[in-house]
Amino acid sequence: MSMEAAGKRVHVIQGEFKVVNDPNIVLSTILGSCVAACMRDPVAGVGGMNHFLLPGSATSPSSGGDATRYGVHLMELLINGLLKQGARRDRLEAKIFGGARTIARFSNVGEQNAAFARQFLMDEGIRIVGESTGGEHGRKLEYWPFSGRARQYALTGVEAQRAIQMDQRPAPVPKPAESSIEFF
Amino acid sequence: MSLAEKIKVLIVDDQVTSRLLLGDALQQLGFKQITAAGDGEQGMKIMAQNPHHLVISDFNMPKMDGLGLLQAVRSNPATKKAAFIILTAQGDRALVQKAAALGANNVLAKPFTIEKMKAAIEAVFGALK
Repeated sequence: MSMEAAGKRVHVIQGEFKVVNDPNIVLSTILGSCVAACMRDPVAGVGGMNHFLLPGSATSPSSGGDATRYGVHLMELLINGLLKQGARRDRLEAKIFGGARTIARFSNVGEQNAAFARQFLMDEGIRIVGESTGGEHGRKLEYWPFSGRARQYALTGVEAQRAIQMDQRPAPVPKPAESSIEFF
Repeated sequence: MSLAEKIKVLIVDDQVTSRLLLGDALQQLGFKQITAAGDGEQGMKIMAQNPHHLVISDFNMPKMDGLGLLQAVRSNPATKKAAFIILTAQGDRALVQKAAALGANNVLAKPFTIEKMKAAIEAVFGALK
């Protein structure tokens, strides 16, 4: 067993993001049509992961719409979290995973989510150094933010499908009316 | 000319995507005079040379953050009357109170809807249409 594999595990669920600077931590998640963006600054030794599922309408970051704004928001939270821990935007590198077509009725939502992440990163000038998206199977993903290493397992079989469904409970697009703060 | 067309807006955000989204939203609301800056320093430079009526600024930015820009705008006689809306990805009360104390007109949490943005602007300028 490598040193990395012996580290502490932190799970990231849909709608969440985690940022860490501990070389012993591995971030993990289960992805169906959801997408996870893994980002790190190799110089500052800080990295993180988010995990999102946007409704199909969020095809590109500049297309407007509430779903798009929510996606941009989750990416921004991750980036802000990294910058707060000493990362620099121009040194950020990213890997994207997920966006599988796991359930026929979800059509190509997975691919649209992956396309959203790709376009966002390109627009922001963040290098994509690795990507595994699409396909018909969900993924179990592990990411070591300190080294940037990622490992994924294809999920097949009934248990895997159940795990994916658990992880893809209804899309968390927040009610905008309640997310705003207006005090004055 | 509609009210929205007369108002000069400055967008300040370090994320290209956020600037695009906000620009689109403002255009949908009828704004035509829109300028963008990538951080507070650049935003203040633009304001000093060409005071805008409305500044919509992100909070978390490199160099000078949204509150820093707000302070700079409020302490310059040429720009101090500009309306100022702060956007924040992490909405916490301390930030809202600080922004209010420094003279912000509003604080909006991201992700905002166009309707929320419209309401925030109309609270300062009156009905846009």
